[in-house]
Amino acid sequence: MLAPEKNATQRNWQPIIQEFITVLGEKGVVRRKEELLVYECDGLTSYRNRPALVVFPRSTEEVSQAIKICARHQLPFVARGSGTGLSGGALPEDDSVLIVTSRMNRILNIDLENQQVVVQPGVINNWVTQAVSGAGFYYAPDPSSQIICSIGGNVAENSGGVHCLKYGVTTNHVLGLKLVLPTGGIVDVGGSLPEMPGYDLTGLFVGSEGTLGIATEITLKILKTAESIKVLLADFTSVEAAGATVSDIIGAGIIPGGMEMMDNLSINAVEDVVQTGCYPRDAAAVLLVEVDGLAIEAEENARRVEALCYQNGARNVQMATDPEARLTLWKGRKAAFAAMGKMAPDYYVQDGVIPRTKLEYVLGEITKLGEQFGYYVANVFHAGDGNLHPLVLYDNAQPGALEQVEALGGEILKLCVKVGGSISGEHGIGADKRCYMPEMFSETDLETMQWVRQVFDPDRIANPTKIFPTPRTCGEAARSHAAEQFKEIERF
Amino acid sequence: MWEREIEMHQSLSISPINWQELEAIAGAESVKTLEQADPKWSQAIARAMGAGLQPPQAIVFPDSAEKLAEVMTCAYKQGWRVLPCGAGSKLTWGGLIQAADLLVSTARLNRLIDHAIGDLTITAEAGVRFADLQHQLAQANQFLALDPAFAEQATLGGIVATADTGSLRQRYGGVRDMLLGISFVRADGLIAKAGGRVVKNVAGYDLMKLFTGSYGTLGIVTQMTFRVYPQSEASESVLVQGEVAALEQVRSTVLRSGLTPIAMDWLSPPLASQLTDAATTVPALLLKFQAIAPSVTLQVQRVKELAQSLQLAAIGLTGDLETQLWQQLQTHLAAANQPDQTICKVGVLPASATLWFQQLERLAPKGFGQIHAASGLGRLVFTEPVEANLLLTLRRFCQEHNGFLTVLQATPAIKQQLDPWGDVGTALSVMQLVKRQFDPNGVLSPGRFVGGI
Ligand SMILES: Cc1cc2nc3c(=O)[nH]c(=O)nc-3n(C[C@H](O)[C@H](O)[C@H](O)COP(=O)(O)OP(=O)(O)OC[C@H]3O[C@@H](n4cnc5c(N)ncnc54)[C@H](O)[C@@H]3O)c2cc1C
Repeated sequence: MLAPEKNATQRNWQPIIQEFITVLGEKGVVRRKEELLVYECDGLTSYRNRPALVVFPRSTEEVSQAIKICARHQLPFVARGSGTGLSGGALPEDDSVLIVTSRMNRILNIDLENQQVVVQPGVINNWVTQAVSGAGFYYAPDPSSQIICSIGGNVAENSGGVHCLKYGVTTNHVLGLKLVLPTGGIVDVGGSLPEMPGYDLTGLFVGSEGTLGIATEITLKILKTAESIKVLLADFTSVEAAGATVSDIIGAGIIPGGMEMMDNLSINAVEDVVQTGCYPRDAAAVLLVEVDGLAIEAEENARRVEALCYQNGARNVQMATDPEARLTLWKGRKAAFAAMGKMAPDYYVQDGVIPRTKLEYVLGEITKLGEQFGYYVANVFHAGDGNLHPLVLYDNAQPGALEQVEALGGEILKLCVKVGGSISGEHGIGADKRCYMPEMFSETDLETMQWVRQVFDPDRIANPTKIFPTPRTCGEAARSHAAEQFKEIERF
Repeated sequence: MWEREIEMHQSLSISPINWQELEAIAGAESVKTLEQADPKWSQAIARAMGAGLQPPQAIVFPDSAEKLAEVMTCAYKQGWRVLPCGAGSKLTWGGLIQAADLLVSTARLNRLIDHAIGDLTITAEAGVRFADLQHQLAQANQFLALDPAFAEQATLGGIVATADTGSLRQRYGGVRDMLLGISFVRADGLIAKAGGRVVKNVAGYDLMKLFTGSYGTLGIVTQMTFRVYPQSEASESVLVQGEVAALEQVRSTVLRSGLTPIAMDWLSPPLASQLTDAATTVPALLLKFQAIAPSVTLQVQRVKELAQSLQLAAIGLTGDLETQLWQQLQTHLAAANQPDQTICKVGVLPASATLWFQQLERLAPKGFGQIHAASGLGRLVFTEPVEANLLLTLRRFCQEHNGFLTVLQATPAIKQQLDPWGDVGTALSVMQLVKRQFDPNGVLSPGRFVGGI
């Protein structure tokens, strides 16, 4: 769905382009229409907008120079890492400069003694683990887009992953940042240690979705790889039983590395596509639990989890220890999103959070909403932390379908808020959900958050229309759509 | 020499408090002079503000967030400078307060709002005491993974405002990693919130991080939601003592092994001596393991074997002995009602800890020092008077190792001789702008924070 061509603006871009070329070189500036095409959207492909210009700085200094040009001419700019974001965070603003970090892709320092790594923002998430795994370390936050998404994007979205239940999300692993502010100024926040004196601007910046400036150096904590890992796959004849098992595991004092659930529709979709053979088609739900720690601990906890599964009526529990067998059990879960693509021409992924204990109720309500709107909704989610990803199956070729599906998605978000949850657990608000912010936050709450933006970006040029609702953007319904171009990669 | 920036709160004259108005808002029994309230307030204020400044004329204890908000609205209109506090146990921490007309205590905002047992979260008002919260959680075999100073008196609001925790950082991180949502009253008296009550949430800016460790300079937190953890079935600690180089090997081996201590602290020789009742001239490593019983047993055994192979002494502690040891450690690192103690929060790169202890040994052999082995954060405490110059020298050393030294508690005389916070680098200007945005009139805890904020 392409947005209608914007009216050409009055701005004379030629001299501005020259300024960028002077700073970044010819290769650092892209302005031909066909080259701009790929930058029209991020993972949320139903929102599109063409940037006026795309620039590729290579250093903090170049980012600063580029932003200074933007500031001088009051040009909105949008940071972009790999463009896998699912909330339209990297969607270009009207007449904007897109600042892409893909050439800032060096790991600057690896300090195993102090368990930290300094990277440029364009470094891809799993490069970090690759760089330190030989020494027995890893970088914990593992979004399933980790083979393509950038650390800069992770920082901006405060991304999570399957293994964040025990070890936390991005913000718990960032020690410090070098930032280029929307004025072009360069500041260092945080450092090599947590809790440096002063306001925690590092914590404030993580999750700010490109609205407070651009992170150009990121200091990450790395963790020691667990001695042993075990994965369990349990199947249940009711979603309630699976949900009760989740509660019981947590109640027993076990914090698994990850705990994921899939419902019957997702199971069948997966079996149609990847034929794992381990996800029973008649199960109402399967639960995947990964426990880690010392061998003795992983073993004992796996045994306890297994017992809890059976106590709650699991028909069968499979267990895997060696990496290959573990992968087999995970395979279906990882293929879940891709499998949806086979079930229906299109699917729409939502990202809401609920208190874990409201799982059964909310899933029941989601089914009802699906029936009411006339769509199938498959559920695949991080059961451990109540982060739901309902997938609405539909056909975009049918007129009005997208709008209806979006409305259904909106109802699901409202449901999440109603039971005490949140409208986003890890994908961010971006352009997609800003109109739902008032569901969670009062005018005063939002105004106070905007104070922060006012401090960092008084001229409102950094990703200006994202996160917060404006009368203009929220006059029309929020839009959302599955990421067509990343179909092959599993999504969580 | 450092210069205190006081432009935001230049007028140091007194703004008279309107008692009738305050009493009408908060109730007559909730507004008191410091003397009426408790002598501890005047004593704390004398140290928090230093000599020659007018103490606050009143202390108010609103019993609801709404009343607190009304008090703040009133203060905003009248231009009263406000010093927020909870139980007052850390009122003296941070920079000297430049002016305060009114103390606003959250001590009566002490309701537990919701313990969502199955969701591992707890929501409570800011004045709830840490000890009471832990008691509540313990009934469900859960706990808040923080170990702050003055655990008996400290309120949740004060813990958040000072980002104060201790050894548990090793496994659980800091206060920032625990805080899921907050409500607060702004300087203008409006109530705002951020975050939520669920364990995963990225909607909106993370103001929880901004408020954690902001020392009452941005607003008054009235309610908060924390992530909590299940209690482990078994617990055991090991104290390892001997040659520094060998201890360093223990540290790096453990951190590179699959072992999962929930705490691992370096302790300076005087501190180790206090804990063991045996004089020692070398630092010690204190590790704590909590997990299922067989895992704890195995981990302790591995540490002991490692220690033995390096000719180090290792003592295992369980049960009451273990509890007492950690309590003693806490007491030595921040004893309640010992205003003469100098308490610093320190940080050095984790791998520089042994160098830091050498430095300490050379310059201040009596100092109680603790460094968390994984994060490099820690505490430094002097029970006897110290020179500002010594603190500055130690600070320089910390800074050379990418760290810092913050003087939390010290005599006003010391705090007048040095900036308790030290240099915070290039981000100071942004911090000052944040302050100005949240508190344009500079009425909240003026002078208490970095760069004179
Ligand atoms: C198949 C698939 C699977 C996914 N799985 C997960 C998952 O499991 N968990 C999860 O949390 N997310 C997931 N996502 C969403 C997405 O991958 C993450 O949000 C990711 O962090 C985005 O990184 P990026 O480099 O693609 O950022 P982009 O999409 O390029 O940008 C995202 C936002 O970050 C800003 N930004 C980028 N770089 C910087 C910088 N250096 N400084 C400041 N701001 C910057 C942009 O302006 C934008 O607002 C998935 C997406 C896909 C397509």
